[in-house]
Amino acid sequence: MLEYVADALMILGGFFAFSGSLGILRLPDFYSRLHPSGTSDTLGQLLILGGLSLKVIFDSSGDGLSVGKLVAISLLLFVTTPASTHAISRVAQLSGLKPWTGADSKEADFSQKEEDTNE
Amino acid sequence: MSESVVLRTIGGMLFPYILVYGLYVQMHGEIGPGGGFQAGVLVAAAFILHSLLFGKELTDRLLPTWLVDLSMSLGVLLYIGVGIVGLVKGSYFLDYSVLDPTHPAHAEALGMTLVEAGVGLTVASVILTMVRKVNGEPA
Amino acid sequence: MSDPVLLINVLLLLLAIGAALAAMWTRDLLGAVMLMGIYSLLLAIEWANLFAMDVSYTEAAVGAGASTILLLTALTRTGTREKAGPNFHPTALLTVLVTGAVLIYGTSDLPRFGDPLAPATVHVAPEYITQTVGKVGATEATENDFGDHVPNAVTAVLASYRGYDTMFETAVIFTAGVCVIIILRPLAGSARRRTAGSKEDA
Repeated sequence: MLEYVADALMILGGFFAFSGSLGILRLPDFYSRLHPSGTSDTLGQLLILGGLSLKVIFDSSGDGLSVGKLVAISLLLFVTTPASTHAISRVAQLSGLKPWTGADSKEADFSQKEEDTNE
Repeated sequence: MSESVVLRTIGGMLFPYILVYGLYVQMHGEIGPGGGFQAGVLVAAAFILHSLLFGKELTDRLLPTWLVDLSMSLGVLLYIGVGIVGLVKGSYFLDYSVLDPTHPAHAEALGMTLVEAGVGLTVASVILTMVRKVNGEPA
Repeated sequence: MSDPVLLINVLLLLLAIGAALAAMWTRDLLGAVMLMGIYSLLLAIEWANLFAMDVSYTEAAVGAGASTILLLTALTRTGTREKAGPNFHPTALLTVLVTGAVLIYGTSDLPRFGDPLAPATVHVAPEYITQTVGKVGATEATENDFGDHVPNAVTAVLASYRGYDTMFETAVIFTAGVCVIIILRPLAGSARRRTAGSKEDA
């Protein structure tokens, strides 16, 4: 019974990670793209690693050390992913990147500070 | 010095754990994956993180340049020294079993630990030196 | 595609090739550095897939860590766009083709990768794996060279059986560090005065 819970957790985590990547492709602006890559991926890895540790516990080769290592990895990612998202958005703010407001008539210009790429 | 409280707090929290993890990887090189090269890069990465977050002057006070240069040479000297001990005691160069004549097999493992420690020291110092130099710190 | 592991290997390698090609193609140097970091990460996952844990560790730490940091730090001192130049260099292409042809012809006589009948696999590898090369004298009654202290075969080969190679590798890394210190030191007296003088003039 509990194996199905572990599988369900991993599939749900995979769905969140996938939707994070989809969001990076589809969202209009740099700042809005940071949300899926930061928040959604954090929750995704939390669920995936939680499902993996459940699998390890209720498998025949269950080992307390493996569960401890998975929990430590999950904790590290939980702490560093939002911090790195904060660092990225802070640098973008300080170097003058303006957020996209809906005031533009069409879709956002995906490359707001682009120089000529065809040289 | 980074002006963001978030980054300084989290970086300061992470720095000792990265160092401990580097030590773990170094010491467990014979039992699992690991060894000198990986541990050296990890320790250097910890100090690079520290210098990015807290400024070059603070990191320079923590780990002065002469110490890093010294440990760069000490690593290579440790490796070659272990080899020369084999020569001095009458066997061939880099023979570790002379370190403990009563238990040659244990002495081999001890020699490997010392040699990996030398490699780790050199790799950590060299990577830290390279990043500091490109950042523009004086000799 | 009946073998899912082969499928994953092929997918990872294709993505790595794509990342490398994209890094060569783009003219934005910051993007190129990021793509090289992605390439290193994909390669680290590929090594882990082939159960080469030590190599995967080193690739992740050095490639996606130290190398990317070094390149980014170097980017702060140069511009971030590649200079426009001709896209086709005939001499470079000729050199690469000739060297590649010579290498392929030269290594075509080596045994196939993972060949179970190659001399290295038949004579040398079993002794390394069971660690019974015979370095230790006959005073101890153990069959093992290290007395079961070193389960990791990679470290055993690296530090003991092929210890000379690791010693020279360490010496090479040390030489690289010394070269960086020498090349990037502050200018000596006369050269510093010369550049300071030209800066005041301009």
